[in-house]
Amino acid sequence: MGKTAEQVIRLDLPSSMQLVYVLDAIISEILREMGFDEETSEQVNLAVIEAGTNAIKHGNKEDPNKRAYFEFAVHPDKLAVVVRDEGQGFVREEVADPLDPVNLLKSSGRGLFLMEACMDVVTYGNSGAVVNMVKYKSSSEKQQA
Amino acid sequence: MNVDIRKREGVTVLDIEGRIIGSDSLALKHIIDEQINATEEGQVKILLNLEKVRMVDSSGLGVIVAAYTSVQRKGGRISLLHVGGNIKSLIVMAKLVTIFDRYEDENEAIASFQ
Repeated sequence: MGKTAEQVIRLDLPSSMQLVYVLDAIISEILREMGFDEETSEQVNLAVIEAGTNAIKHGNKEDPNKRAYFEFAVHPDKLAVVVRDEGQGFVREEVADPLDPVNLLKSSGRGLFLMEACMDVVTYGNSGAVVNMVKYKSSSEKQQA
Repeated sequence: MNVDIRKREGVTVLDIEGRIIGSDSLALKHIIDEQINATEEGQVKILLNLEKVRMVDSSGLGVIVAAYTSVQRKGGRISLLHVGGNIKSLIVMAKLVTIFDRYEDENEAIASFQ
């Protein structure tokens, strides 16, 4: 099975939290077309929404003059997602652990943790202003990668 | 997201439908805060019915956690009804399983407040 991207879908959104539902609609359709099972689809959907929320809210600070950019590369064996914002980025190591008992009852700070828990690969580029995420269709493909 | 509010045996039941993501989370926070602020100290009893909620993200989970701490501070109680699918996974991943009282039967949930 080839590893080359068959189809790349690009999207850019104005920095408005009211548009996060657009991401939900698009990624849901991509996942359905790719044949991901329900549980995996929910995980990927959540990770993409978290990455989009981070880009719009924390990266671009909901500045209407800035946009959030999304790329969904549909491979036979995996979905690769790139999310980019026009903000200053962040240092992953400086983000508090939401599972630390002192943080458990905080009302925010779980986005990155959930992205990393739901996807097979999550890496950060351009000082955190770019997030790359991959989800494999099966665990055997993940092991072979 | 749509939220219907009803009273049952002194318990405020919020029937939530749709997704709690993005700006929906802030809207839900306002609705819950209104209910908490409108109730006397020690009398806050809220049941969040999540049966028709398709998806919750970290901001939605944050609203539920914030509601829990607000209600606790006011000497009341908040419980969750019909926690399934994505929301259940979210609560497990965030290690909040032991924090929230969860019910699958509305009568049982209402009785637990009495």
